Amino acid sequence: MTFNVRPDRRFIRPTYRSNRFVLVEVTAPPARSERVRPPVNLAFILDRSGSMSGDKIRLAKQAIEEAIARLHDDDRFAIVTYDDQIDVVVPGTRASPEARRTALDRLREIDARGSTNLGEGWLRGAQQVAEALADEGVNRCLLLTDGLANVGITDRDELARHAGELRARGVSTSTFGVGEDFDEVLLQSMASAGGGHFYFIATAASIRDHITSEVGETLEIVARGVTLEIGAAEGIRVESLSPYPIHEGRGQTEVTLGDLTSDERVEVVLRLNFPYGELGRSTGAAFSLSDRDGVVRGEAKLGWAYADNGANDHQERDRVVDRAVARIFAARARQEAVGLNRHGDFNGARHVIEATARRIRGYAGRDPELRAILGELEGELQMFAAPMMEMDRKHAYASSSYLMNSRMADGKAMKDPNRGGR
Amino acid sequence: MPPESEYSLQDLSDLAGVTPRTIRYYIAQGLLPSPGKAGPGATYADGHLNRLRLIKRLQREHLPLAEIRTRLAALDDGAVAALVEVPASEPPADSAIDYIRAVLGGDSSPDGMLWDRAPDMTSRRSPIGPPASPPPSTNAVDLRAPAYRLAEPSPAHAEPPTPTPTPAPDRSQWDRILLAPDVELHVRRPLGRRAHKRVERLIQIARELLEEDQP
Repeated sequence: MTFNVRPDRRFIRPTYRSNRFVLVEVTAPPARSERVRPPVNLAFILDRSGSMSGDKIRLAKQAIEEAIARLHDDDRFAIVTYDDQIDVVVPGTRASPEARRTALDRLREIDARGSTNLGEGWLRGAQQVAEALADEGVNRCLLLTDGLANVGITDRDELARHAGELRARGVSTSTFGVGEDFDEVLLQSMASAGGGHFYFIATAASIRDHITSEVGETLEIVARGVTLEIGAAEGIRVESLSPYPIHEGRGQTEVTLGDLTSDERVEVVLRLNFPYGELGRSTGAAFSLSDRDGVVRGEAKLGWAYADNGANDHQERDRVVDRAVARIFAARARQEAVGLNRHGDFNGARHVIEATARRIRGYAGRDPELRAILGELEGELQMFAAPMMEMDRKHAYASSSYLMNSRMADGKAMKDPNRGGR
Repeated sequence: MPPESEYSLQDLSDLAGVTPRTIRYYIAQGLLPSPGKAGPGATYADGHLNRLRLIKRLQREHLPLAEIRTRLAALDDGAVAALVEVPASEPPADSAIDYIRAVLGGDSSPDGMLWDRAPDMTSRRSPIGPPASPPPSTNAVDLRAPAYRLAEPSPAHAEPPTPTPTPAPDRSQWDRILLAPDVELHVRRPLGRRAHKRVERLIQIARELLEEDQP
């Protein structure tokens, strides 16, 4: 495994609240052999509302069938479907050959109908997982939907809060949004707070691939509950630009990275805001990485010095950090622009993109990668500043979300480039 | 004494994760004090930042803006700072299953098999009328209470269970929003996203209308 912590700059200004960025790079170790992996405890939660009929539900069922076939006897699974009613099709059970056979029979009988009580369907699935929580294993809900939550608990923030509370209690949530009618902000925030992953599935044809991939990642989790702790000198404010859950206490900030799969590579961009200080004085922060089982471990310290404006203006910059920062700001701007575009505020969308481009231009210099990030953002200006197709909004939102969460362009885990992968 | 921090509007926006436009709106609405200096060189202090953070938190807990304003008005900078300072995360006291049961309102089917019940649409679709009982003291929220307590069923559901199959519990609750000294709005929450936006707008418009006559 690797754990690197790098600052963009080392000097800070004495009479100004300087912002400095830190890039934290974490690579998980490879999985041990398939045989000794910890047990998984999964709930598949399937939207069976009318709009899911046809290919979507057929392919989703197929993916669940295949996923169940990959489980071992000591794994557990449950299947829950929901429309305006919730059916626990298969209550949480050990994945014995019999249970798997029964599950397949029941799965075949599922077809689409009704409207969508997403919240309760999901909670019922979580309940199946929680009833036999595997302390040594991975407990996760996989929620697949193509629609909105329009019955029962429908509030985004409330659902995300529940997802966070469940994550803190050992049950994580991954979400799959199919087509163009689901609420990507809801599914993304449930997955972010829930310690899982959000996937956008543009066409029914790739439902199987995404579910299979997420189950595969779950089966290869090597480090559970990975946490980055930052202890900074007094007066320094720490925040995470990467959308991981964060807890702040006095002088201590905790960023929850969640479960990491075999060889997974994760980047966290932090922003530190420094207080005024005396010229020549130094200050600093300590970073430590840990997980529930002691698989990953790392410590690092960084220092900054209060220096005059000349030294600040001409100091060296770590371009790798600058690029990570620029990418995150660009992704945030895109997501904001998508929301504004949807509400018909095209000018607002333009302003958000322009403002972000202006800030990146301020430090891009001649760096080719930064110029490329800038060019791409400027190239999209016209798109965001005019009515967009919903599918394009979904794509723009999801690709930004993947980027901020260190996921690949198709939503799958980013792997350590130094290893061959699987 | 450490120097008082000063932020530009952009700094404040970055640190609090709130757009400059929203910050101006909050100032206009009286949720935030005006900046130290007016105009483009306006400066903001830690008090502004802490207040913004508290507003965000209270919004996450579904408090109407009006209610947030009332609460903030009662707090000085020190009290706001103390509320914003969250202790480092501690493991939750209850288990996942207890949490889910509490959210679902405690109606758990013992075996969960083909769990089937009348959809709880009726209770939510009933025509909006005045609340059956006086709403609980304007949705008093203890900032440090476990989050799910916010969704506690209304007192009507604390009645002893009846032997017949009970209808699904209604997780909604009435919020009382003060629009002016003599005018209130009752809203049953949670609302859908669209309805929530409309109600927020209604409150804003209503309040502007009602404040017109005041000195």
